[in-house]
Amino acid sequence: MKKFQITVNGKAYEVEVEELGGSSAPAPRAAVAAPVAAPAPKVAVAPAAASAPKAAVPVSAGSEAITAPMPGKIMSIKVSVGQAITEGDLVLTLEAMKMENEIFAGASGTVKEIRVSQGAAVNPGDVLVVIG
Amino acid sequence: MSTRANIEELNERNKKMELGGGQKAIDSQHQKGKLTARERIEKLLDPGSFTELDKFVVHRCVNFDMAGKEAPGEGVVTGYGTVDGRLVYVFAQDFTVLGGSLGEMHAQKICKVQELAMKVGAPIIGMNDSGGARIQEAVDSLRGFGDIFYRNVMASGVIPQISVILGPCAGGAVYSPALTDFVFMVKNTSRMFITGPQVIKAVTGEEVTEEELGGAMTHNRTSGVAHFAAEDEEDCMNQIRMLLSYLPANNLEEAPFVETGDNAERMDMDLNEIIPDNPNAPYDMIDVVKKVADNGEFFQTMKYYAANMLTGFIRLDGRTVGIIANQPKVLAGCLDINASDKAARFIRFCDAFNISIVTFVDVPGYMPGTNQEFGGIIRHGAKILYAYSEATVPKLTVITRKSYGGAYIGMCSRHLGADQVFAWPTAEIAVMGAEGAANIIFRKEINSAENPAEKRNELIEDYRKRFATPYYAAERGYVDQVIQPEETRPRLANALEMLSTKRETRPAKKHGNIPL
Repeated sequence: MKKFQITVNGKAYEVEVEELGGSSAPAPRAAVAAPVAAPAPKVAVAPAAASAPKAAVPVSAGSEAITAPMPGKIMSIKVSVGQAITEGDLVLTLEAMKMENEIFAGASGTVKEIRVSQGAAVNPGDVLVVIG
Repeated sequence: MSTRANIEELNERNKKMELGGGQKAIDSQHQKGKLTARERIEKLLDPGSFTELDKFVVHRCVNFDMAGKEAPGEGVVTGYGTVDGRLVYVFAQDFTVLGGSLGEMHAQKICKVQELAMKVGAPIIGMNDSGGARIQEAVDSLRGFGDIFYRNVMASGVIPQISVILGPCAGGAVYSPALTDFVFMVKNTSRMFITGPQVIKAVTGEEVTEEELGGAMTHNRTSGVAHFAAEDEEDCMNQIRMLLSYLPANNLEEAPFVETGDNAERMDMDLNEIIPDNPNAPYDMIDVVKKVADNGEFFQTMKYYAANMLTGFIRLDGRTVGIIANQPKVLAGCLDINASDKAARFIRFCDAFNISIVTFVDVPGYMPGTNQEFGGIIRHGAKILYAYSEATVPKLTVITRKSYGGAYIGMCSRHLGADQVFAWPTAEIAVMGAEGAANIIFRKEINSAENPAEKRNELIEDYRKRFATPYYAAERGYVDQVIQPEETRPRLANALEMLSTKRETRPAKKHGNIPL
């Protein structure tokens, strides 16, 4: 069992690591592991954690995502998957701040994906529709 | 030497200087879709009006390879001329000469026209197209930048300062434009950044193209550094001439009066139809502004940035008026950090240059959310309050629909010194929307009612009738006149005429401390 201190987004975590499936770790191997582990936390762990939320909703290259400009509720969706649209077309309406906000397409293309449904609550930056 | 030879020599010298970095460099500039410094000045100014200064200035650097290196005009063309017959000063960096790099004498030429412009009281237009500091000149070059920045600040609020980015403008060079009143950029050729893509890649590993990082649309849409985007250089020069037509030459002058031929008494029946019956439906505030303006012309500044807030110039009965307006079509017209910044800076420009301000209000409130709070909406939002309160030019306000809470106060209410507040009969002026307010005020009554939902709707309706109107504010005198939408133009024109001799003083002080 080895103990590491790992810093993620400025917060320090104590982590215990146990190597499984082998005979108890011989001394030389532990000596190798230590120098590798020392620089690892900041370089490898922090960026991975930071980019995690984005990684959850990837938009493939060449596609354009329409995102929610502010927190609100989806009132109606005006397009369907596969539909060809041009820049400036009305895509959906988002009720926020007591206003029926019209969300328009930022690019021309085909609707590849609709990630929200009517009545869904969204936060700023959430991907609503993907155009390819 | 004979007199004839002397005369000939001057001709020869002039010719050489006017060719800048030589024909080859000029051709390469043209191939990039860019004009030369002299061509740009010609396009901007009235034909034949340009007078050049400091044509024969040369550098005096002997470091490295610089000794004896020729730099005709020192990489910048400076002088004065006219736009629509009105005096302006210009400088245009010449990319064909040492990449337009800025050294000691190059900077001195710019400083000279800055000082002249300030003394005389005429706008200055600076065209930037430069590789940056001339490295061979070391700290002399940095001193040059510093001297220009200092004069930008001295001239701020005295004469309109306009920066035009027509090529690269990187590193320290970006701060002169940033200190001026308006920044123009051209799509695909203008670049502004503190550190370029290579440095960013080396330091953070992030890959980004020059256009994405510092192109015209990046700064017009995302960063808010630039105020105007042009399709090409010719379009850019036309936009600058248009902007100048709205501005006075300095802080002691009135903006030019233009005979527009549009009757100030003209009513617009369409305005009666513009507010939708559904209070939650958006409409385009640009239509409202255009219907009020002379000949329907609205010259927007920062059109692509924080589009939930509109700023720009119109003429009303021939006078230049600065417009600030909420845009219900974008982000519900909420006030957020960017909108506050945009409006506050524009208000201060108008106040500095004696341009009356008309504010159109349809605002549901400040934008909620952690990113706004963490970003400092409190201190950024405070800028609007500060700028309106500080402004002593005539201030008129038209409340078309929603005007709630802190945003009501902020959008040039009577309490921040509006000289006249007009409200349309569709105005809703209250602390918050009827639903929220009724839920709080009548909580007990609603909860104890037999049918809470029914009671709730009834009380919301009561509240709406009593408070979500312009009349409660009018009873207090916070709204001076409740007007029909159709009469907006004549009423505003009339009020501006009435206020044309307005004098308002502020306590003597060195300067205030606007929250930045």
